[in-house]
Amino acid sequence: MKGYYLGELEELVLLTVGVLFPEAYGVSVMDEIEKQVARSLNISAVHSVLTRLEDKGFLKSKMSDPTEERGGRRKRIFLLTAAGKRALEESNEVRNQLYSQIPKVALQFKLA
Amino acid sequence: MSVKPPRWADKFLQWYCRPDLLEEIQGDAYELFERTSNENPRKAKWQFSWNVVRFFRLKNIKRSNSHYSNNTFSMLKSYLLIGFRNVMRNGATSFINIFGLAVGVAATITIFIFADQFFHTDDFQQKRDRIYEITSVVNAGKKMTTLSETPYLLAPAMKEEIAGIEEITRFKLHSGAFRFQDKVFSESFYFTDNNFFKVFNFPITEGGTQVFESPKNIVLTKKMAEKYFGDQSPINQAVSVKFGNGHSEEFVVGAVLDPPANNTMGFDFLLSMQAHEKIYSKNPTWADVVHATFLLMKPRHGIDEVATLADKYKVLQNEASPQWKTEEFKFYPFNDLTTRSYEIESGIVGSGEPQGVYALLVVVFMLLLLATFNYMNISIATVTTRLKEIGIRKVLGGQRKEIMQQFLTENFLLCLIAVTLGSFISYLFFMPWLNALVEFKIPFSFSSTTNMILFFAALIAFIMLLSGLYPAVYISRFQPVVILKGKEKFGQRSKLSRILLTLQFVSAFTTIVGCFVYIDNNLYLKNKDWGYDHHQNIVVPLASSDQYIKLRDKITNQTNVISLAGAVNHIGWYRSTAPIEHDDQKFEVVPFKVGFDYLETMNLRLSSGRLFDKTIQSDQVESVVVNENFVRAMGWDNPINQTFEYDSVKRNVIGVVKNFNYTDFYRSVLPVMFTIAPEEEFDYLTLKVTNDATPNMEAHIKNLWKEIAPDDPYKGMLQDEVFSNWTHNSENEMKLMSFITAITIMLACLGLFGLVSYNITRRLKEFSVRKVFGASTAQIFKLMNRDYIWILAIAFVIGAPFGVWLMDILIHQTYADPQPAGILPFAISILLMVVTVAITIGSQINRIVKENPAQTLRSE
Repeated sequence: MKGYYLGELEELVLLTVGVLFPEAYGVSVMDEIEKQVARSLNISAVHSVLTRLEDKGFLKSKMSDPTEERGGRRKRIFLLTAAGKRALEESNEVRNQLYSQIPKVALQFKLA
Repeated sequence: MSVKPPRWADKFLQWYCRPDLLEEIQGDAYELFERTSNENPRKAKWQFSWNVVRFFRLKNIKRSNSHYSNNTFSMLKSYLLIGFRNVMRNGATSFINIFGLAVGVAATITIFIFADQFFHTDDFQQKRDRIYEITSVVNAGKKMTTLSETPYLLAPAMKEEIAGIEEITRFKLHSGAFRFQDKVFSESFYFTDNNFFKVFNFPITEGGTQVFESPKNIVLTKKMAEKYFGDQSPINQAVSVKFGNGHSEEFVVGAVLDPPANNTMGFDFLLSMQAHEKIYSKNPTWADVVHATFLLMKPRHGIDEVATLADKYKVLQNEASPQWKTEEFKFYPFNDLTTRSYEIESGIVGSGEPQGVYALLVVVFMLLLLATFNYMNISIATVTTRLKEIGIRKVLGGQRKEIMQQFLTENFLLCLIAVTLGSFISYLFFMPWLNALVEFKIPFSFSSTTNMILFFAALIAFIMLLSGLYPAVYISRFQPVVILKGKEKFGQRSKLSRILLTLQFVSAFTTIVGCFVYIDNNLYLKNKDWGYDHHQNIVVPLASSDQYIKLRDKITNQTNVISLAGAVNHIGWYRSTAPIEHDDQKFEVVPFKVGFDYLETMNLRLSSGRLFDKTIQSDQVESVVVNENFVRAMGWDNPINQTFEYDSVKRNVIGVVKNFNYTDFYRSVLPVMFTIAPEEEFDYLTLKVTNDATPNMEAHIKNLWKEIAPDDPYKGMLQDEVFSNWTHNSENEMKLMSFITAITIMLACLGLFGLVSYNITRRLKEFSVRKVFGASTAQIFKLMNRDYIWILAIAFVIGAPFGVWLMDILIHQTYADPQPAGILPFAISILLMVVTVAITIGSQINRIVKENPAQTLRSE
């Protein structure tokens, strides 16, 4: 289990990388998160999460072809790995499993 | 693109960012910038900078040499091994190099211990933070003087009235004759209050601190216990003391102290103040003084409490003693006495003026610098043979930094050896020599462990960085291609190497010439005429005036005695002055009171007029004989029969004697006048005997003395010995100077030797080729030494005058009338240098002469 442990932000970034396939890189991930969950992150924070995920083996990366924008600099495109996919599935599963075990009563927010 | 991100931020990013991450990070930052800059360029710039700052994280920062970080440690063994092999291969040079440095280090350690001791005197006194010495500031004619003397009654009054004082203890100095069985010695001692041991801690070897409960008890030092009692236990032994006023008293030894080496409170005996009251002043007044007063404040009480209340006592003192008014009581913290005690006249604690020690520290620092330059010079030369090694290392991927590390490691090892060796040299040779020179014993230890660690750390760091850094930086810079092609010309004409050698010889010449000037001056003073003939005179200080007549009657009928006289003040020791006023002249004069025949007996040289005559009645009171300086000060053209008033008596000058040194050469000769004193006041008996009779006569007088004064020790001596103190100092100074000179010459020559021998080794092939083509030894010699001779000449021209100038300042501060620096010191130092340099180089030249060119050229 331990190898697949994901932090909340890590999970969010990992999901976003999946969503953006095959155009996930620093700025696009940051923009997507802002758009989808309204969380404003600093680009440096996104970068550090991305490298961390790559170190853990959940992401792999390659450099894109250079484009006109960014002063001709290449982007580092991130892609999910098999391990990353498994990690997402697992955390999703754990979440659903736990959620389904919550007694119905606990979810009925009515005044007694 | 019209708007660009801030340059500094971009530069900063490029500077810190890891190269493999730079592109994406910079790219993202630029993308964000471009997007925002269309709407709001200012915001975009701000945002860009902010992002760059946010990217400044450990994971993004460039790491230098991250791949090699462990290499230094793994290479350490190799560095040390190669270093060791190099040391062994250049055996002689390495030894000279290390030894030279070790000598410099030894001198530094020795002097540092000396200075450390000097600045940490009396620190064994546990309450020293709360102890203060009370001093009196008095107006001594022209300037304010701080005296150690304070009113006798001050201590009891203060103790009673000021709450912040815990204890207050006094010292009163006296001298007298001590007798234990048949051992009689004249001693100085202090009377002190019985709370002495509550203020000061001294290690007690026998007895207890309660010793002064009884005024009959006496405390003495271990040294004195051995002097009087030998192997016997000193406790409860009875000692009889005859005081200066004739009173005799028996005392019992109550305790024995063993003061540590850094104790400056110079006492041998302590007696109880209660005994003093019994023997001397039964009803003391505010005019009576003690020689020192120390007070111990209660914890958390400041000295200001006492200082503000002290004015009251000033009034009491001034009323009681109107001629010698105390202007102010000044308080010195005990801790300050180490360095400030010279401000206090006749103080009993402290180690004198610190200037001498500072000077010594400067000298030894120069010496260390010299040794380090030396070392550095040879290091640079040695490296010439290792160029190939460096080349190979670089080719195999050694970084410049690693080569530097290698050389610094090696250097560190050598420095460590040198410091260790230096410590041994200091312990085995230098410390004992220094201890033989000074009167007090300096142990080979530091005042604290922290000091010791700091000192050695600083010493090693200093030597290592100074000697190792330059060679390491210089050598590691070479390009491997140039080295391996053999194109690198190095060491042969190294400017720095020659500048260092010049500097070394400049300081060598400064020291040598300076020392010789000083020694020359001391020798001159040693043989200088004292202004009177003193070789046949004996002087006997008397304990009481009746002894004069007794002794005179026994001596006068001796055949060997040419003449005999008495005096109140004796030439050789006396130098008190008194002010004299005549018309508009006002000056200080040294007034001697002597008996008839004294001037003749002492062989003073008459320059005009006549000496005292017994048969002339007026000579008893008003006639005076003066010296030439007196006449000059008065401005008389014809001094004879001039009159002036002194001590409310009209004086008439009957004769003038030539100037003479009435005290040692440290002081200049002041105006002197002689008056006649009656026999009853005499303190000295002096006699002139026929040539060669002095030893017999002295023995004879010693025997006579036992008959007439069995209770008093015999203190007579030859007049030749009156300056023995000065002679002793001067001899010690000369020894020290010679020692410094010897070390300097040795260091300079070691440096030269190392360098020359290295250059020869390196150029052996060149010389061999020259020899094959018929070069003579003289030509090779010339080729070899042209540089060194120039360096020596330049160094001498700079160093010698500098040394003379420095020493001249010192000598003029020390002596009143020194001789001007002559040509001799220059001649001697040149000769000395030329000879030692010639030997140094000559021994190497010999190598070339003997060398068979065929052998040298064949081998490679």
